[in-house]
Amino acid sequence: MRPLTLKRLLWTCGLLAVVLLGCVVLALKLGAVPISVTDLMWDLGRVAVGGSDPLPSEYSMIVFDLRLPRILLGILVGASLSVAGASFQALLRNPLADPFVLGVSSGAALGSILAMIVVPQLALLTPLGAFLGAIATIAAVYFLGRREGQLDSSTLLLGGIISASFLSAIIMFLMTTLAGRDLRGMVFWLMGDLSTPVSAGLRWILTVGLFAGVGAIYTTAADLNLLLSGEREAIHLGVDVTRVKLVVYVSASLLTALAVSASGAIGYVGLLVPHAMRLLFGSDYRLLIPASALGGAIVIVLADTLARTIVAPTELPVGAMTAMAGAPVFIYLLRRGTR
Amino acid sequence: MKFNQAMPGAHAGSGKKFRKLRVVVLRAGMSLLFWFLCGAPVMPQTPVAPSTAGLATTAPAFQVFTDEVGRRVEIPAEVKHVVSLAPNLTEIVFDLGDADRLAGDTDFCDYPDEASKKPHVGGPINPNLEQIVSLKPSLILATKSINRRETVDALAHIGLPVYVTDPHSVDAMIASVEHLGAVLHAEKAAAPLAGELRARLADLDRRLAGTTPSRVLFVVWSAPLISIGRDTFIADALRHARAQSVVDTAAEWPHVNLEEIVRLQPEFLVFASAHAGDTQHEIEALRTRPGWRDLDAMRRGNIVVISEAINRPAPRMVDAIEQLARALHSDSFASRSPQLAAAANISLEDCSCAR
Repeated sequence: MRPLTLKRLLWTCGLLAVVLLGCVVLALKLGAVPISVTDLMWDLGRVAVGGSDPLPSEYSMIVFDLRLPRILLGILVGASLSVAGASFQALLRNPLADPFVLGVSSGAALGSILAMIVVPQLALLTPLGAFLGAIATIAAVYFLGRREGQLDSSTLLLGGIISASFLSAIIMFLMTTLAGRDLRGMVFWLMGDLSTPVSAGLRWILTVGLFAGVGAIYTTAADLNLLLSGEREAIHLGVDVTRVKLVVYVSASLLTALAVSASGAIGYVGLLVPHAMRLLFGSDYRLLIPASALGGAIVIVLADTLARTIVAPTELPVGAMTAMAGAPVFIYLLRRGTR
Repeated sequence: MKFNQAMPGAHAGSGKKFRKLRVVVLRAGMSLLFWFLCGAPVMPQTPVAPSTAGLATTAPAFQVFTDEVGRRVEIPAEVKHVVSLAPNLTEIVFDLGDADRLAGDTDFCDYPDEASKKPHVGGPINPNLEQIVSLKPSLILATKSINRRETVDALAHIGLPVYVTDPHSVDAMIASVEHLGAVLHAEKAAAPLAGELRARLADLDRRLAGTTPSRVLFVVWSAPLISIGRDTFIADALRHARAQSVVDTAAEWPHVNLEEIVRLQPEFLVFASAHAGDTQHEIEALRTRPGWRDLDAMRRGNIVVISEAINRPAPRMVDAIEQLARALHSDSFASRSPQLAAAANISLEDCSCAR
């Protein structure tokens, strides 16, 4: 593999950013209501320079109040989940790690639901509930996955799957017993869904959280590279393993929690995207983290565009789209790993 | 695994460059963050401002209503296009003679037939917001027990008026008709319709005075068995037909244990169906199943199939109530004028009381 240079890093990220921009334009164009791409570019330009021509109102409502915020949310969620997945894969030294597979998404979902039940007036506390749920779950799965002091790959995955089904059962219980509490919308949300616009406040929290989380993880990128060759080896090479682990666990849980509290449990993005990026650009974490963030954004924007359009005007949950693409990849990786 | 081939060498070689990069990335990140946070809230506002100005010039007056869930709704004085997000509301709009103003409805709106020819905006649970907006609605109608709160909030957030109804009884359904008459400025059609429905219910009450209520199981779904809770409009509709649901719970659509039903032994099983034939097949299949075959009502053939209109809080529901009352308490309808008696017979055949 070629060594990573600053030039290559910038070129790669630039390329991915251009692809993302292309996907955003495509996503803005496609939907239940078709919009001509030249008009769109013209109007976007006019809005960008602060033009005064009023746009037709229902057209501007669709593009600027519904489609654009949804695409931005997709970018935030996709980037968060992919970076969380890439981080968990390095930390647990397991190529199959993903917030969804490890049960972290379910923990965050349960945390959000509990927050919604306990303090329904304070909608902005949901991300906090999700964060506590995610942290508790990853801690539990980590201890479940240890065997004689070493992380065991299959035990870890089983621990994650069992935690996920246990947490889903509790969610089911809450939704059945609290039927009068207007939790019906949750069914969609549990599948992973971007169709419900989030409040401006939550979008703020998501944006700040994404930059903070990815930034914190990026400071440990070089250490993660060393950690991949083994914990003991990393310690010998001078890595403060305890600190790195703490930073990455907390940040990755934060990223997962933010994504889940905005859009529910969208699965397999954190698995699919980092692997695709590794195949394309190599496994150096200093490149892999920004590449995964951009790649995750691209994948979610495309998946959500498909979810919006293939059976329009009815919508599919975007989680169904990512699971359809992600589960076969998971099986492929699992088979390859065992051989 | 290819995955584990990390490159500590590359790290050692270009460490300094990367420390510099970290600073650059951090700075770029901060400025991007700043742009995004300042930019994001402004973006939607810029185009919205002229749009509300546009609305204000075409429709100078707004009327303020409080909907049935207590939300404050500003509705234009002239409602040109209505989008209905629930089948019951579509029916009411048609009953008020406002079919022309109905710009769109849901995939489930199938009554009257013209309703299914209107542009659809998706299902009631997950309608497509873009599609709704593209129909340029001056008013959107929703029902709390059918639509999601998130949908209503999202539409209200982008400045579209949404009137939400929430009927838990037949009387409340009739009140909803009057409320929709007011918000659609169709009071002239709503008042006689509401009056007629109330008169029919009063007539039913007179006829059924003195009869003991029948103990029934209302089957919403047979596998798994889903019935109705006490606070639903269906439970109230049953009471109007002098029927009492054996299931008594606060949950709206309880998943009921069949053992409990065998213990309670309802006098009648009530099914609602648009296609009586399909329901007959379903009942035939249930007849031999354990649990179901232990019900006295099943053995005696005390089964009533009524119109699926009972499932929708709309005026047609009163037809279904009358149908059920005739099936359960036929004696109260026997001693009437020949004309009425004939009508009663016809609907007895219609409602296909099994055996």
